[in-house]
Amino acid sequence: MGFDLRFGWTGPIGAVTLGATRSEGGTRRVSYRIGGGTTLPFLEYNSSHSSPLIAFEICDNPVFWPPIVRNYCGDLVNNVEDWAKTADATYGADMIRLYLTSTRQRNFSDIPAMGKAVEAVLSATSLPLIIEGSNEPNIDSEVFQRCGEVAQGERLLLGTAEANRYRSIAAAALAYNHSLIAQSPIDVNLAKQLNILLREIGVQRDHIVIDPYTGTLGYGFEYSYSAMERIRFSALKGDTDLAMPMICSPTDTLTIKEVREAESSVQDEMAATWEFYSGLAAAVAGAEIICVRHPETVPRLKEAFRSMKNGTGSAQVR
Amino acid sequence: MALKALDIYKLLPKKNCKECGDPTCLTFAMKLAGGKADVDLCPYLDDQAKAVLGATTRPPIRRVRIGVGERSFEVGEEFVLYRHEKTFYHQPGIVFDVSDTQSPDEITSITKRVRDEAFTRVGTDLRFSGIAVRNRSTTTDRFAAAVGIIENVADLPLVLISASTAALSAALVHCGTYRPLIHAATKGNFKEMCALAKQHGCPLVIKAHQLDQLAELAKDCSAEGVQDLVMDLSPASLYEFIASSTGIRQLAITRTAPDLGYPVYLDATIGVLQDAWIVLGIVKYASVIVTAPLSRASAKAALTLRQNVYTDPQKPIQMNPGLYRVGSPGKDAPVLMTVNFSLTFFTLEGYLESARIPCFMLIVDTEGLSVLTAVAAGKLNETLVRDAIRKSDVEKEVSHKKLIIPGYAAPLSGRIEEATGWKVMVGPRDAAEIGDFLNKEWKR
Repeated sequence: MGFDLRFGWTGPIGAVTLGATRSEGGTRRVSYRIGGGTTLPFLEYNSSHSSPLIAFEICDNPVFWPPIVRNYCGDLVNNVEDWAKTADATYGADMIRLYLTSTRQRNFSDIPAMGKAVEAVLSATSLPLIIEGSNEPNIDSEVFQRCGEVAQGERLLLGTAEANRYRSIAAAALAYNHSLIAQSPIDVNLAKQLNILLREIGVQRDHIVIDPYTGTLGYGFEYSYSAMERIRFSALKGDTDLAMPMICSPTDTLTIKEVREAESSVQDEMAATWEFYSGLAAAVAGAEIICVRHPETVPRLKEAFRSMKNGTGSAQVR
Repeated sequence: MALKALDIYKLLPKKNCKECGDPTCLTFAMKLAGGKADVDLCPYLDDQAKAVLGATTRPPIRRVRIGVGERSFEVGEEFVLYRHEKTFYHQPGIVFDVSDTQSPDEITSITKRVRDEAFTRVGTDLRFSGIAVRNRSTTTDRFAAAVGIIENVADLPLVLISASTAALSAALVHCGTYRPLIHAATKGNFKEMCALAKQHGCPLVIKAHQLDQLAELAKDCSAEGVQDLVMDLSPASLYEFIASSTGIRQLAITRTAPDLGYPVYLDATIGVLQDAWIVLGIVKYASVIVTAPLSRASAKAALTLRQNVYTDPQKPIQMNPGLYRVGSPGKDAPVLMTVNFSLTFFTLEGYLESARIPCFMLIVDTEGLSVLTAVAAGKLNETLVRDAIRKSDVEKEVSHKKLIIPGYAAPLSGRIEEATGWKVMVGPRDAAEIGDFLNKEWKR
């Protein structure tokens, strides 16, 4: 006999659907349902619970991308279609996250090109997509509107809403039935507040993924780790305003000193190891989408997640 | 179930001898009941009384010291499931694995690496904790010889891994007085293992695959007089590790299963997923982690994760406020103001160093809050900045009056200009962009 371990959780994590297959009104070869957890991450008794998803991040203007990825991926980074295809077929990602970095150029105004970039990636890969829109409040509305429109029916995940700018992205998500990422600066209360704001303008809970903001390992990661644990804990204790799945994107990882200044022979290993350590720890804290930028990180995370699934059935705790 | 103070009192000698440091046996009993004292402090308890009391009165997870001297480390004595509930107190020892089948040179070089290697992060030296010696040869002589080699090179905490009490016994001749951790007692051999551990006063790993078997074994060893135990769950998958380690922690801290109140041992060398085992060991309650010597990348990442997770969330690491120099700044060098949260400081400093523009950092006292939280909480304000400028004598260091402030402090720019008479330039929100900013905005 084993010990009976009960935490007394009352609320499950809400589910969010990402991507849509043909039968669901889209063109993706697969759609994912994340969330739905009823206890601490990886302790689900039900072994059908899915592993965290690995999203590979690409961009449409590599000037704004870490040099180490530009070196590793070579010419691919200049062609968003080829890059997306490779991330799908070769790197083995579960999702593609496209950053529309072009919008970061001064006085950027070519909105139609953003719609085209999204269309290009939609046709290059049949994986569900995350689209990271503009970084510039003045063009937010047009960019999100355009991206939302060209991908209607595909159940995109749109990023990123923040407390002081969420209306444009919410409008696009509502109009075209996409989900969105709600980011708050490493604070459980701010995360909750933003979710309430979103709810008040009509965004349903099952269309929100929480991004508690991920500090890089060694640069504040512990704050994010605890914020994730607290969000998960509050959700399981019944707070429905926090009961959404979480995304982790340690975007600064590949530009930190440890990676930048590593000897060139070990630089890729350093980059992938740093992403792996933070991604895996974040998954244990409750993140269900782990974003990475280095191709070598993808298979490492995948293998670990495989070993973390409850397959043996010999668990003594639930 | 935890015993009440009066139940404990009945088992004490009632001599009121004060040798435990308490004035009476009753006050000692009350401390024991609260988990604030250790039964070993009473010199008159027999082993049986100790065993009964031991499991119910000590801290929910027993503190165990491994090794002696400067590099020894303590594990256990943890109280929470989540670090944000309080903090995690004793970071896991990460020890490098060597086998007695390796050449003396190899063993020496791994030992030297653990002895000497250190990474400095946020002002702290991060090191690996010790050496685990494996009796892969299965011969007594080679095992003892390997331990001898290590002892000649360094005074590091050791883990002795062998199924043979003869081999362990021979090795303990070399290192028995240095509190190595002995691995491992099982249902079949615990009496002999306990005798060895007792003879040398060493902590002992107990090994079983099921939680109830572990609890049983802990009780048996405790009855044999060995209380410094560490538990090896020998998990078959990462899933099993998370499940049983979380189970042990929860059952121990709630005192639901006091016999599971011992630190956890994890062998990360099994299988090909060593980095994954290390990550899970660090975040999910392992106290001793055995790993093959790590690559530079994994070594840095593992030590950094351990430092992050075991940082006390209630006490942000702070810098002393004041003026700091990056490079050798001249009279026309830029002055960048930021908060005294150490992470902010070291992040900004790193980017400034790589920008290769000598400058001054003016650190103001926000009680360790980051820029964003300090602005929100009113802990970063114009008065503070004005006082910092005065106190630091920065006006004597530079010939201009231009202050670069963090992007997130932009709402304060007007008020800072009024209060200080300095011209404020709003820098980027993200420290990574500071080099670009200085090149474009400052040098213009």
